[in-house]
Amino acid sequence: MADVILKGLNKRFGDTQAVSGLNLAIRDGEFIVLLGPTGAGKTTTLRLIAGLERPDSGRIEIAGRNVAGEAPAERDVAFVFQQYSLYPHMTVYENLAFPLKAPARQLANDEIDRRVREIARMVRIDHKLENRATRLSGGEMQRVAIGRALVRRPAIYLMDEPLSSLDAKLRGELRLELKRIQKELGSTLLYVTHDQMEAMTMADRIGILAEGKLMQVGTPREIYGNPSSLHVAARLGQPHINLLPADLLPGGNPPAGTKTVGARTEHLDIVAGEDANARVDWIEHLGDQNHLHIRVRDHKLVTLADPYLAVRPGDRIKLTLRDPLYFDAGGQRLG
Amino acid sequence: MSGRTRRLLLWIAARIGKRTGSPDVSYPQSSGDALTISPTSIVDSAAAATARATPTALARRVRGLSDRAIAWVFIAPAIILLLAINIFPLVWAIYLSFTNYRANRPNAVVETVGIRNYARVLTDPDIWQAMQTTAHFVFWTILLQTVIGFMLAYLIDRKFRGHAFWTTIILIPMMLSPAVVGNFWRFLYEPQIGLFAYAVSLVSGIPTSEIRMLGDVSLAPWAIIIVDTWMWTPYVMLICLAGLRSIPDYIYEAAEVDRASAWRQFWSITVPMALPFIMLAVLFRGIENFKMFDMVTLLTGGGPGSITEVASITLKRAAFESWATGRASAFAIILFVAVFGLANIYVKALNKVKQR
Repeated sequence: MADVILKGLNKRFGDTQAVSGLNLAIRDGEFIVLLGPTGAGKTTTLRLIAGLERPDSGRIEIAGRNVAGEAPAERDVAFVFQQYSLYPHMTVYENLAFPLKAPARQLANDEIDRRVREIARMVRIDHKLENRATRLSGGEMQRVAIGRALVRRPAIYLMDEPLSSLDAKLRGELRLELKRIQKELGSTLLYVTHDQMEAMTMADRIGILAEGKLMQVGTPREIYGNPSSLHVAARLGQPHINLLPADLLPGGNPPAGTKTVGARTEHLDIVAGEDANARVDWIEHLGDQNHLHIRVRDHKLVTLADPYLAVRPGDRIKLTLRDPLYFDAGGQRLG
Repeated sequence: MSGRTRRLLLWIAARIGKRTGSPDVSYPQSSGDALTISPTSIVDSAAAATARATPTALARRVRGLSDRAIAWVFIAPAIILLLAINIFPLVWAIYLSFTNYRANRPNAVVETVGIRNYARVLTDPDIWQAMQTTAHFVFWTILLQTVIGFMLAYLIDRKFRGHAFWTTIILIPMMLSPAVVGNFWRFLYEPQIGLFAYAVSLVSGIPTSEIRMLGDVSLAPWAIIIVDTWMWTPYVMLICLAGLRSIPDYIYEAAEVDRASAWRQFWSITVPMALPFIMLAVLFRGIENFKMFDMVTLLTGGGPGSITEVASITLKRAAFESWATGRASAFAIILFVAVFGLANIYVKALNKVKQR
């Protein structure tokens, strides 16, 4: 385990700047999640750290050592690929044992066996150790891929959307499991995803990436409650944050220069009846909560409401802001 | 086109038309669809049009046939041809192998001799010699072609500059006719004027008159192996290349991060994953070289003496020089069973490898 520092990292593929001027310091034992849409440069960042791509410029330091010129094998990293990348002609056991058989750190056979079985139990694949890697379900392959990274104790674990191909239930379980394992081992982990739920629940710190640039880094609470820009605010929150013109709703206290008001559920007060300024278009019932689709003049809003709120589609309601987020014309946060 | 043929075609078209279901469905539904009309809908509407053009009486008669019957009508010509030119001669050869029939004496009385032909073939030292020569030839050609072919494929797969050009160059020998190759190499092997002897003597200093590739007892088998390897290594390379190209890059990336050295990647990923393809190439070359005839005939004709006389040449001599048709048939059956049996065992092994 070690600190990993990225300084002014640049990588261009043809006409697209995949990563530009990226700075990030990952502390020892930290779980960092890079969150961003497709094509934001998340995977490229991981591949640069692993050494599968060479940066055009910038420094990558692992444990204080500049590794820019080193091959992946010398960098002491473990990688979980999005497409599993299991060795198809080997059994689960052989797949898990493969990283331990590097001549650089030759382990005794019974030590390898002990480690493989321990990790297999951890990722709950120990009942299929003798199966061919290709004879597994998607979820099982994914667990083997994670296990293959975990058998080693590298400086940093790099994970590229490792849970993306699992069903929701298994994803939820493995999310908790992965966080538990990371805490237990005290490992440094850089995790890439476009799922805000994974980011919010697992990360010590979240980095928001867009178009190859790191927009903001902070704890999940900071990123959610105190976003530095419109873009960051728009990445988190379910339902999506409502972006409204400054003068649409009463109740706020917009500073000078406010162009856009960002209002999530907790920034909106709903009162049914008197002084109505909005209308409920329709209601989506999710069971434990409702999505309210609201129309204010010609703007549409979506907000959460508890299922006992007595409104029906077509009802007039009064909507007020409560301490929302303010952004200027350039999308930067104000106030 | 005769009336009967036309009726048959109409009948087939009617069957196809019937299977596409209601013809109206395949027409474009709106003006927008007309722009994106797909090839299948063109086929569908053509089939529908043909179906409509079929006389009702004919269509009704055809509808009585099951799909199974239609399938049989389609494959019957191929099956009849296969029976006539493959299966019948095989059965006939099996019959002849139990007789003393001689093809140059068609009027002589044919007697059944039981398994005497087989006994004679299996105890004939000349035939065992020929089998050994064949085995030697098959073993070395397969070994050399697989090793060199795989190495070439591995190099080409590095995708260096101009690799496509070099692939084409390497493939040229395979595209030549064996007759041409045999004649060319006979000239190349010529001790006095041949380039091969000249080149070897230039490198080794041995006088050209002593490099008699086709005339020397110890060199002649190797002369044939060299030519066959020269000609067919590209074929093996092509199959191996297909195997190497089927290994996805991300497997190598995973191995690299897992700190496997290039050597270990080669042996634990490249070779095992390309193995089914390599085995397939070996199977093709093995069957092909077991019945090698043309190149040997053109280069040495089995000589000097009978040192390069492979099984197929012995067989040809028994059949068309000694005219012992019965005995030759027995030998042919033995060869057939040997190749068939070996190939079967091999294919089982191949399937096992592929299933991993």
